[in-house]
Amino acid sequence: MTYILTQEGKNYLKHGLPEKRLVELLKDRNGIQMNDAASALGKEFSIALQWCKKYKCIDVVNGKLILTNHENIKDVEDLQAGMELLSKGKEPINILILLSRKLAEKAGESIIERAEKFVGKEITNLNLEIIKTGTWKKVKIKPYNVEAVGKRQIGKRHPYNKFLQETRQKLVEMGFQEMTGPTIELEFWNFDALFQPQNHPSRGWTQTYSLVRPKDGLLPDKALVERVKAAHENGWRTGSTGWGYKWDPAKATKLMPRAHGTAMSARMLANKPKIPGKYFAISRCYRPDVIDATHGVEFNQTEGIVLDESLTLRSLLGILKEFALEFAGAEKVKFLPDYYPFTEPSVQMSAKHPKLGWVELGGAGIFREELTQPLGVNVPVIAWGLGIDRLAMFKLGIGDIRYLFSQNLDWLRKQVVV
Amino acid sequence: MPKIDVSHKDLCGLIGRKLSTEQLADEVLYAKGELDEVNGDTLKIDIKDTNRPDLWSAEGVAREIRARSKKSGLQVYEVRKSSYVVNVDTKSASQPMTVSVVAKNIHIDDAFMSQIIQLQEKLSVTFGRNRKDISMGIYDIDKITFPLTYTSLHPEKIRLVPLDFKREINGNEILELHPKGKEFGHLLKGHEQYPIWVDANKNILSMPPIINSDSHGKVVKSTKNVFIECTGYDMKILNTAICILAAQMADRGANLYSVKVNYGKKSILTPDMSPKKFYTTVSYVNKVIGTGLTDKKFIELAEKSLYDAKIVGRKVEILYPAYRQDIMHERDIVEDIAISLGFNSLEPLNPKLITKGGLLRDQIYADRIAEVMTGCGFQEILSYTLTNTSNLFEKMNIAGKAIEIEKPQSSNWSVFRTSLLPGLMEFLAKNKHVEYPQSVFEIGDTIVEDQSVQTRSKDVPKMTAVISAAVVNYDQISSTLDALLRNIGIEYTLKKSSHPSFIEGRTAEILVGKTHTGFIGEIHPAVLNGWDLENPVVAFEIDLEEIFNLLRKR
Repeated sequence: MTYILTQEGKNYLKHGLPEKRLVELLKDRNGIQMNDAASALGKEFSIALQWCKKYKCIDVVNGKLILTNHENIKDVEDLQAGMELLSKGKEPINILILLSRKLAEKAGESIIERAEKFVGKEITNLNLEIIKTGTWKKVKIKPYNVEAVGKRQIGKRHPYNKFLQETRQKLVEMGFQEMTGPTIELEFWNFDALFQPQNHPSRGWTQTYSLVRPKDGLLPDKALVERVKAAHENGWRTGSTGWGYKWDPAKATKLMPRAHGTAMSARMLANKPKIPGKYFAISRCYRPDVIDATHGVEFNQTEGIVLDESLTLRSLLGILKEFALEFAGAEKVKFLPDYYPFTEPSVQMSAKHPKLGWVELGGAGIFREELTQPLGVNVPVIAWGLGIDRLAMFKLGIGDIRYLFSQNLDWLRKQVVV
Repeated sequence: MPKIDVSHKDLCGLIGRKLSTEQLADEVLYAKGELDEVNGDTLKIDIKDTNRPDLWSAEGVAREIRARSKKSGLQVYEVRKSSYVVNVDTKSASQPMTVSVVAKNIHIDDAFMSQIIQLQEKLSVTFGRNRKDISMGIYDIDKITFPLTYTSLHPEKIRLVPLDFKREINGNEILELHPKGKEFGHLLKGHEQYPIWVDANKNILSMPPIINSDSHGKVVKSTKNVFIECTGYDMKILNTAICILAAQMADRGANLYSVKVNYGKKSILTPDMSPKKFYTTVSYVNKVIGTGLTDKKFIELAEKSLYDAKIVGRKVEILYPAYRQDIMHERDIVEDIAISLGFNSLEPLNPKLITKGGLLRDQIYADRIAEVMTGCGFQEILSYTLTNTSNLFEKMNIAGKAIEIEKPQSSNWSVFRTSLLPGLMEFLAKNKHVEYPQSVFEIGDTIVEDQSVQTRSKDVPKMTAVISAAVVNYDQISSTLDALLRNIGIEYTLKKSSHPSFIEGRTAEILVGKTHTGFIGEIHPAVLNGWDLENPVVAFEIDLEEIFNLLRKR
């Protein structure tokens, strides 16, 4: 195999390698402005600068070029010597370096020669030789079947998760701060702190889960527990009669998978919330419902609280109405009496969805004083929950709640992102 | 949320006006009801309030609707004195207390009959927690002889023909053979003696809380006078129940008579239908609702809510019916006033509160991570946090412990996941027919035991990615991990390791600093076999708790 100098190599052999030229320039005019150096070296300046930086022989300070150590470019002398040898038809020891810098190439295989082979032919792929040498003017480029549709898979968010993310964003825009809490919860926070009596039917195992292990946790701050206990037994200082039974701390220490997001609201209230304050959570909740098209044992709940001295039942209706507009695009709403053991009054809202008609969109109420005061909150607290899963199902065009957790890759791939 | 069936015609009869289903749909709101279904004359009404058993019948619903149009005020139920006596002499620890009432001159038609049955069912099952707190019986007074005794006997000595049976059997046999015995027998298990009602002629009338006698404890359409009893443990609950049953009878035109119940030397007169008293102020009610009701308007609304109200100094004295057991606080009165006012007639008010919204930091980080992963071409998936030990451990060829729920509905969802990888393997297994390569990821919580916290457990967020294709290699997954961690600015190293789910020599642990933060590798063919997968799989799982901690410190 024999090698010859490339056009570039021949040029550098004659005028010197660009980095060498830059160093020589700086030996004379150290600290020269970059612009001036560029005009002195012409189109080879950027190559020169790149190699000088690599050799660490110059610094750029405030647009000026400073020569630091010109000894560092002594490799340049070897390249120069190599090019000279090659020009005399001898193969230098550093031929691989010359090849890699495209200063040398295989003899008889110049880019022009390689390009020549394609002249007059029909080609499928354009290549470097054809483009650079202008040979493309002398070839026929084969047409593609441009009407064939190409296909590829991309990475996307899960549509339900995306919907929940958008919901979070909307709530944030409405001034709500996101809150959190543990999946495995004390009955204390899931029930007792919410003023649900220990003998309430909804505490039986048919509607909430309990655990095989771990079974019991630890109750929070003793003073808080005492206030909650008193609220259940005799109403504490709230003006209530209480439920009038003996409250059992052992029952409150039982652990359970969170049955509703309201457990987090209770934790928030006991943790010095801001007043005025708005908080929300989207959380996985667990109830032993029969699994069917509209019930899963595991589901997401969207709910939250609003705290302020000024709040009334009318403001609760106002907040619900805002939700209806924001989440269902509904101007028309109607309110129905409802029941939760922890709110009074309690309201259910139906909203007139542009396509679905009247949809039950959510429930809300004003937390009872037997709940808020023992947790240390002395202003009205509105608690709300939104049935956004139903809207998600509609938005995603699905009739079965289990599909919100779709495991069908084909379906996921077919979902559009807007 | 008790659902009740009522006859449209019967309900209108009780209300005293003819109402269309549309009108009724609006008016049942007064009884906190929602008209769920109309099936000819039969209406299905969902009563929202689980704490208002007085509403769970046609009579209860009609009472509320009637009051709203007439401002009736407190409805007084007259209970006439009588010579009916019940002697309580039970040695059974099961339901030691009882209350009762006598109702005379009733006219039972089909609609009334079905309401009697339905109300008893709802009271004992829903309010009485499956007869644990309340059991009740209704008897034709003309077939029994007073005084009655509420006593107890060894089950084998109890002999009666239970309802719907043809032959006499003993107490044990009732639990074994009768459908109600099978359903509620557990309430008597372990008791030496079972409670029974006996009349003056020594006839056994019933064996609470299971069944009545077919000969002496049955009411038919021709029955004119009835004796009703409730047994249980808690007098407050029993009084509520008997008042509700008595009101049902009285609303149908019956005359009520009291019964003297003797507990040894102590005796009580039941039912106690005298109204109960509570105080509130008009200003409190206005403050909660956001209205400016005058005293006069307040009293009018109170009367529509079946209350008597009178201003006493600064306060309002409220007299309310004995069957209401839900009024604990002034708040409970507020709701009734608001319902009488009509929620839809209140003008909604948008509170202008200055608050700053925001997402949880971890939520933002998780979102960014998902962004990088989709940028790498991975499809996000979602799975349940509940799974089973077969998926979580056995199929992954590992041993482990997970938080387990009691009495799961299905063994498929019985433990909380400790890793996301099995969920992704299951996903791949479900999508074998879908075009490969398949690159999917999930971000989500795992739930693990942690004895150092009050809930003895904690949520640990994780992120897992898998690639499956006819040909996959380690570089594809390690470059994905690198792309992810580099783009969120986390430095890490990989250390050769071993893991039973992965091929030996093709797995590493992910270290952030010196902390173990996950694992990466090519899934072992034995695991692929377990999931019935035919293409190789490479995967990594990272613990986001550690990553989030680092990100929060920035």
